[in-house]
Amino acid sequence: MRVVIAEDNVLLREGLVLLLTTAGHEVTGVASTGPEVLPALLSGRPDAAVLDVRLPPGFRDEGLRAALAARREMPDLPVLVLSQYVEEAYAAELLAGGARGLGYLLKDRVGRVEEFLEALERVAEGGTALDPEVVTELMSRRGREDSLESLTPREREVLQLMAQGHGNTEIASRLSVSERAVSKHIGNVFVKLGLPPSDSGHRRVLAVLAYLNAGGRSVG
Amino acid sequence: MKAALHAAWRAFCHLLVGFALSLVCYVAIPLFVLCAAMAAALIGAATWPEAVLALRRLTGFARVRAGGRLGARVPEHYLPMGGPLTERVRTASCDPGTWRDARWLVAQVLIGPMLLYVALPLWPVALLVDLVWCGLLRGRPVLLPVFDALADLDARWTAVLLRPSPSAQLAERVQELSVTRAGAVAAHGAELRRIERDLHDGAQARLVALSMRIGLARRAYGSDPEAGRRLLDDAQQQAEEALAELRQVVRGIHPPVLTDRGLTGAVRALAAAHPLRVTVSAPGEEMAPRAAAAVEAAAYFVVAEALTNAAKHSGGSFVKVTLDRTQPSVLRIRAEDDGCGGAREERGSGLLGIRRRVAALDGTVALDSPVGGPTVVEVELPCVW
Repeated sequence: MRVVIAEDNVLLREGLVLLLTTAGHEVTGVASTGPEVLPALLSGRPDAAVLDVRLPPGFRDEGLRAALAARREMPDLPVLVLSQYVEEAYAAELLAGGARGLGYLLKDRVGRVEEFLEALERVAEGGTALDPEVVTELMSRRGREDSLESLTPREREVLQLMAQGHGNTEIASRLSVSERAVSKHIGNVFVKLGLPPSDSGHRRVLAVLAYLNAGGRSVG
Repeated sequence: MKAALHAAWRAFCHLLVGFALSLVCYVAIPLFVLCAAMAAALIGAATWPEAVLALRRLTGFARVRAGGRLGARVPEHYLPMGGPLTERVRTASCDPGTWRDARWLVAQVLIGPMLLYVALPLWPVALLVDLVWCGLLRGRPVLLPVFDALADLDARWTAVLLRPSPSAQLAERVQELSVTRAGAVAAHGAELRRIERDLHDGAQARLVALSMRIGLARRAYGSDPEAGRRLLDDAQQQAEEALAELRQVVRGIHPPVLTDRGLTGAVRALAAAHPLRVTVSAPGEEMAPRAAAAVEAAAYFVVAEALTNAAKHSGGSFVKVTLDRTQPSVLRIRAEDDGCGGAREERGSGLLGIRRRVAALDGTVALDSPVGGPTVVEVELPCVW
């Protein structure tokens, strides 16, 4: 897979390049400042972009702005945003444009190489990868508790993993239950939250995230 | 006798300038009154603030003149003049400083010539008497010092007339304190941002890189143990660097050595590690109570910055650092090198940072660095809080 990286810290940039090339991916572009991101994406023609939220010159959220701009320019470009800390507002902004082919992870997760690569691949295929902390924040948003209260603890766990972007198989293996049990839980969650049932993994994730991001109201 | 004559001549010159100033005032009074009348009659109101500003410049000169004679600055306080015309006219009229200045204007017209009239005929008498008294009888001059007394009198009444009222002085102090407090708040904010940035770019990034290396090593563990070992070596190095970064950040917040050894010990540690020869003396240290942590930290960074600059730019080989606490209420830091001088504040942001840090504590910074050297940095930090 062709990947473009935007990261200002040399150490992390080199680490990411090493990690991705070791995993057999090709790094076709590297940006170290906000304004460099779009040109690098246009010339690198990547299958996915990995962007740091905070980039020079302002060291604020240039990476995030670049990610949003990139998704406007190239609507199908999968973008994985990395951040040193979780900011729910950032997640909300990213999700507002749709969760398809979108990832938002804490930088710490990069250390779990397999999981990180799996998340990147998921995003590149149009899936979603949200950091567990982001999902936790989204689920604990005010006014959300009521609607989630009706869920059993297990159903909450399933919802959490689903919101992170995982498919049935992955959820089943993480919770050490059968896939059939997972589908049953998911069905229950959808009924309890009043979401329209859907079978495809991605579409379910999108529905759940739209639900969470909209503040607990059922959407579409 | 020669010294007395010289002093008398200088004092006489002071009185002559005072007389000239009186002539200027003599011309200025009718102009000033005219401008005031025009402003009152609402015609040509624009000249009134200008006239007040001109008067401020004139009294400014008188202040400098009196201050020079007395060896102490005569404080000055005016309301700032600005904004639209009506605002400026109001400021010009309502500022108590304006009427204080006007009072001086009138007084100067009278007193300037009066003092000169006393001084002029005094010359022949004083010369004659003191020539005889000192020259022949080896006594101390008696009449020549009268000139000094007259000049001092002139300076003193100028100072009294032009000194702002206590409330104006208090207002000025309050303004000064608000400025330094705003500086302190800004410095604090900048400091927090700096620490956050240092942590973000340094230790945090290194820890992520370290975690990444460990992840890669784990991945390589089964298939390529040699590569795995290399990655683990890398990881360990990253961990050590992260620790070093953390130490640096902590040192930047409050150097631990300050807590352990106190200011003098910490500065001595700085000196020992410095490439140039550095001597440290701390007069009055035993007598004075220990300064507040913020003051010590600021003092420490002042010395560190001065030493860094001396090593980088001065080309000298020796720095003398003094931490003076002989006056318990103030810490005086002085760093003098034997380098080529020519240090300018605009060249580096280091000194600017120091200036902000010191100003936040209500202290002062003086940099004296003539081309050819030496460079002397003097910082005063109040130790009374």
